[in-house]
Amino acid sequence: MFSSWHPGIESGGANFHRRVSVDDWKLKPAADLGLPAHERWRSLKRESGLVENLLRLGWWIFVRTFLTCWNRLEVKGRERLPAEPRFVMIANHESHLDALVLASALSLQWRDHVSPIAAGDVFFKHKPVAAFSATLINALPIWRRKPNVGAHSMQTLRQRLLDGFSIYILFPEGTRSRDGNMLPFKSGLGALVAGTSVPIVPCHLEGTFEAAPPDTRFPRCRKIVLEIGHPMTFEATGNNREGWEQIAARVEQAVHQLAGSGARPEQDPAQRAM
Amino acid sequence: MSASTFERLFGYQHAFNHPFTKWMVIVIGSVFVVSWVVNQVLWRTGLTSREQYDDIRVRWKSWVWVALAVLTPILLGAAWVILAVMVLSLLCYREFARATGLFREMSISIIVVLGIVSLTYANVDHYDRMFFSIAPLTLGAMSIMTIPRDEPKGYIQRVALGLTGFLMFGYSFGYLGMMANDERYRPFLLLIFVGVEMNDVFAYCVGKALGGRKAFPNTSPGKTVSGCVGALVLTTGLVALLGHWVFDGTSMNRLDHLLILGFMMSALGQAGDLTLSSIKRDLGIKDLGVILPGHGGLLDRFDSLVLVVPPVFHYLCFHLGTLGSNQAARIFTGE
Repeated sequence: MFSSWHPGIESGGANFHRRVSVDDWKLKPAADLGLPAHERWRSLKRESGLVENLLRLGWWIFVRTFLTCWNRLEVKGRERLPAEPRFVMIANHESHLDALVLASALSLQWRDHVSPIAAGDVFFKHKPVAAFSATLINALPIWRRKPNVGAHSMQTLRQRLLDGFSIYILFPEGTRSRDGNMLPFKSGLGALVAGTSVPIVPCHLEGTFEAAPPDTRFPRCRKIVLEIGHPMTFEATGNNREGWEQIAARVEQAVHQLAGSGARPEQDPAQRAM
Repeated sequence: MSASTFERLFGYQHAFNHPFTKWMVIVIGSVFVVSWVVNQVLWRTGLTSREQYDDIRVRWKSWVWVALAVLTPILLGAAWVILAVMVLSLLCYREFARATGLFREMSISIIVVLGIVSLTYANVDHYDRMFFSIAPLTLGAMSIMTIPRDEPKGYIQRVALGLTGFLMFGYSFGYLGMMANDERYRPFLLLIFVGVEMNDVFAYCVGKALGGRKAFPNTSPGKTVSGCVGALVLTTGLVALLGHWVFDGTSMNRLDHLLILGFMMSALGQAGDLTLSSIKRDLGIKDLGVILPGHGGLLDRFDSLVLVVPPVFHYLCFHLGTLGSNQAARIFTGE
């Protein structure tokens, strides 16, 4: 009698001679497979390979060196960063340097997981800029003037965060401050993490407005200070508009506190959860 | 570097010395001109629709790019052939790695890239023993490199996939570069490219014309038995005919040798096509890339070449003596 090599497969039927010798391999093609280059740059499912990995290594070494030497970048509270590369890093938004400063505080080993969430109409409209944003910065686009697309994008971004290791750099004000004063936070941030264990890391940036105000093309030689706060989780917060607004309010308050008197001592997780 | 070596590597002035090279370039160019005119005429006379016209035009443009990418380095010199083969290998491995998910294993990809670069160096240096040693050395490096991660789960899969990618798209294509170390490389390479591509054309045309039973319905639903046999007969004949011209005055210029060469190119060309089809079906994807509009990825165009080159190289060496043996070896590493 023919018998299967695999204990779970019974012999018999038309294909009884086709024995199962190995289980299926776990082959998972790139999520962005089949997309032309310019669509791939704009895709929220983009995955990086060896070339991007090496280019980013060079890019982030350059950025860190530049910020350290030119802007005397000082990072406070780096030890508060989560141990696992799955969190959302947010801060006040004063210049185009902000995302670079926040990413520079993270381990170089995490460079492929770090994704600044960038305005699609600014960073992904033209192909050369989109190529730069996607390849070197690993930015992911959010389209501000397309409400339906924006909502869908937030859902895709949330899923990407839950499916694997991702660090989002996000500016909940929605745009850069034109006068250096912080704008109210938008609730969209909450849609990424409400009801999950993914932490938000509130940060405060000081000096980036002076280093790169809106009318400047090349950064000025001004000191920049980044203060990293304690991670906040919102597992018990509802994934609805009310919950999102609560999250935005809590995080905004945390950034204001960092701006005022430095990082607060870590609270009990049960008290932080809403 | 001797004058003859420099001439072989960079001497484009004598690109058309062999009449086969000259006539192949003329024929290929003419085919493109004629096919463009025919497509225009068919559309303007209303025999084809706008969609059909556009579809043919997209495929035609891709074919032109492929032909230019193949012909330009062959005409410019052996150094450019070896460089072009490296680029082809890297791009094909990239497609394979993204399709299988292997691209997430950075250490494996680094080893494969280093292996391909080493093959290129061995070819430029004309150091055959180094070329042959790179396969086992790459296997060793690949086996060792992922051990420090201390993650045995998936070890066999990633090493096997990495080795498959390297052997198919690095090592196998690398033989094209090694062939460029022979002074007759231009007609040899053109014969291989024309034979393999015409093999695809014959299989498609005969299959369409005669139809009949599917040859491998699960692997490649479009292929028929008539197409496979037709390609085998026509390609064998074509290669024997062209080979008679290419190998004139050598021991290869015998009917039995030429028929075996043609049969080998056709059978292995179809086997390579089916190999890549099996990979795509296993992954559940249609194309391995999008770099060539109307065709898919580079591997969707060059799949038939994957299994052809090494056996053809060794077959030619068997009858002609080691290819490139009359050229200076170890150009940079020699004493």
